[in-house]
Amino acid sequence: MERETLKFVIVGHVDHGKSTLIGRLLYDTGSLPDEKIEEIRKFCEALGKDIEFGYVMDHLEEERDQGITIDTAQIFFNSAKRDYVIIDAPGHVEFVKNMITGASLAEAAILIVDAEEGVREQTKRHAYILGMLGLSQVIAVINKMDLVGHRKERFDEVKRDLLKFLDGIHISPGQVIPISAKNGENVAKGSDSMGWYTGPTVLQALDLLRPKPGAADHPMRFVVQDVYNFSKRIVVGRVESGVVSAGDPLLILPSREKTTVKSIEEFLRTPASAEAGKAVGITTAEKVFVDRGNVLVPPGPPHPSVTNTIRANIFWMDRRPSGPGEVFRFRCATQEAACRIETIHAIRDSSSLETISRDGGEIRNREVADVTLKTEKDVVIEDFNLTEALGRFVLARQDTCAGGIITGFSA
Amino acid sequence: MIVVLAIDALELALVEAFQPVHLMQKFHGRTDISEFSLPRTMVLWSSFMTGANKEKVVLADGDKEMWNYRFDPEETLFSAFRDPVVIDLPGFSYDLAQHEEERRLLKAFFEAGDDGKKEEVRKAYNDHAFRHHREIKKKFQDAVAGDHDFVLGYFSIADVIGHLNFGNRMLMRMIYRDLDEIAASVKVPKIILSDHGMQAIGIFGDHSGYGFWSSGTADLGTPRITDFRRIIEGMQKG
Repeated sequence: MERETLKFVIVGHVDHGKSTLIGRLLYDTGSLPDEKIEEIRKFCEALGKDIEFGYVMDHLEEERDQGITIDTAQIFFNSAKRDYVIIDAPGHVEFVKNMITGASLAEAAILIVDAEEGVREQTKRHAYILGMLGLSQVIAVINKMDLVGHRKERFDEVKRDLLKFLDGIHISPGQVIPISAKNGENVAKGSDSMGWYTGPTVLQALDLLRPKPGAADHPMRFVVQDVYNFSKRIVVGRVESGVVSAGDPLLILPSREKTTVKSIEEFLRTPASAEAGKAVGITTAEKVFVDRGNVLVPPGPPHPSVTNTIRANIFWMDRRPSGPGEVFRFRCATQEAACRIETIHAIRDSSSLETISRDGGEIRNREVADVTLKTEKDVVIEDFNLTEALGRFVLARQDTCAGGIITGFSA
Repeated sequence: MIVVLAIDALELALVEAFQPVHLMQKFHGRTDISEFSLPRTMVLWSSFMTGANKEKVVLADGDKEMWNYRFDPEETLFSAFRDPVVIDLPGFSYDLAQHEEERRLLKAFFEAGDDGKKEEVRKAYNDHAFRHHREIKKKFQDAVAGDHDFVLGYFSIADVIGHLNFGNRMLMRMIYRDLDEIAASVKVPKIILSDHGMQAIGIFGDHSGYGFWSSGTADLGTPRITDFRRIIEGMQKG
């Protein structure tokens, strides 16, 4: 039987021990070669310190830079229960970009806080982003407990501050765990120094998470990338969710024309069906107009929405600010349309979460805005939790300047 | 207190590749050292501390003798401070014996006949450099914890290790991380400055024709290394 995989991300302040926790998880689960550990130990000795698991990240990054590791942003390990993928994002802007563009989609998150320093601005910013991206499965870890004498009082204090903040943004962590990633306490093994803590270790807490239901269980959505006219007319695209089979009736959005799948086309074969994640070609029984950006769905509900008015949370990632009136490229799956911000309902500082009121309604770098967008033509969109590819988008000038999650739409 | 981390051969390209946030600070960039005929460590640090191009003065007695040159404190920016601590800076408080031994081992490496001997010398060279680095780090952290109005720590590890090991990216990455941790431990305003960077010559490293700076408060553009006397004295005046 195929083992289950769960993807998660570790977020938090840059100095609160993310790299050390990743290194420790890899070490304690036997995911690192002995010779590499020995090499790191020698370097650490030369620099006058005990082995530091943060250096494991250096090793992984070096392998990436040298092309030894094919994957550019994922780190693998496993527990007895399942396989894990840590999606590595160097900063929160990259993390949001990855999540919104679909480069790497996390199903859960570990939010890390330094026991000595407590909740910092960057902690809040990252937590806010988790909420915005709809990541509801969160484990909070209070790291560096060794630096505060493993004291329960300090843990309770930081935990109280953290939960108060998280409650305000509707995040309820499944666990709050006191750890020392450096010493391996409560990461994969328990801690003699924190006998007062009786909850799960980080690894046990990860095993308690639920993987997201697979896209194959959702209604079929086929996003058209191109149309080729060979001896037959082939509509090429990707099955974003569900399964498409020869003989299935289809509704083409946004035109609402109907047809039937005549065949599924892969290179030198014609399979009977294709499931979520597959890039395939489709031929149709009738000659219908289909174009890049169209979405093929079953005729029955639930349907995605076809609209030119979209309510969304956008995260601004460009030094140059913007506001109502400026025209962008709206990109969602393979759809592209000119668009402008019609209304800014609210702007928040992604760190302090304070609402910002500003003349002219300008959105600046690293701010989050609740906006209504108007596209020049109808686009096909859907709830992010149902079909991720149709529920997230980017706005672009020359380059991407904002990412967004759709929160509502009017037909 | 004002702190300067004077890091020999801190290379802008590696900083940007490894992203050590505390070395980068809020603003960082390259320095212009094009007025010098070659990127010589001794000449560049001398020019930094005096605020003037000291190439002719330092080289007056030749390449070998330049390491013996010592500037009077009154000629340097340190005279502007009440109780400055300047650790191991070439041309001022440099540990001559330590660095002469580095150069001797470096020469021995290139003169070694076979690979086995070369590796033996490389190990001795690296061990020697790391031992010195640990000592400097301790002195620097003690000074920063003290009641001084100015502390400068000169860290030669990236240069010394880089000359023989620049192609070992893992090793260079770990050195940059260690330097980043040192920078992170300084909680007062600091300037991070290198004399020059480093470029790869196969596995080895050679000086590049620009330096590195970073600041937590101001975008300095592309300053000359001689500009830092004025910049630091300006920081002192607030």
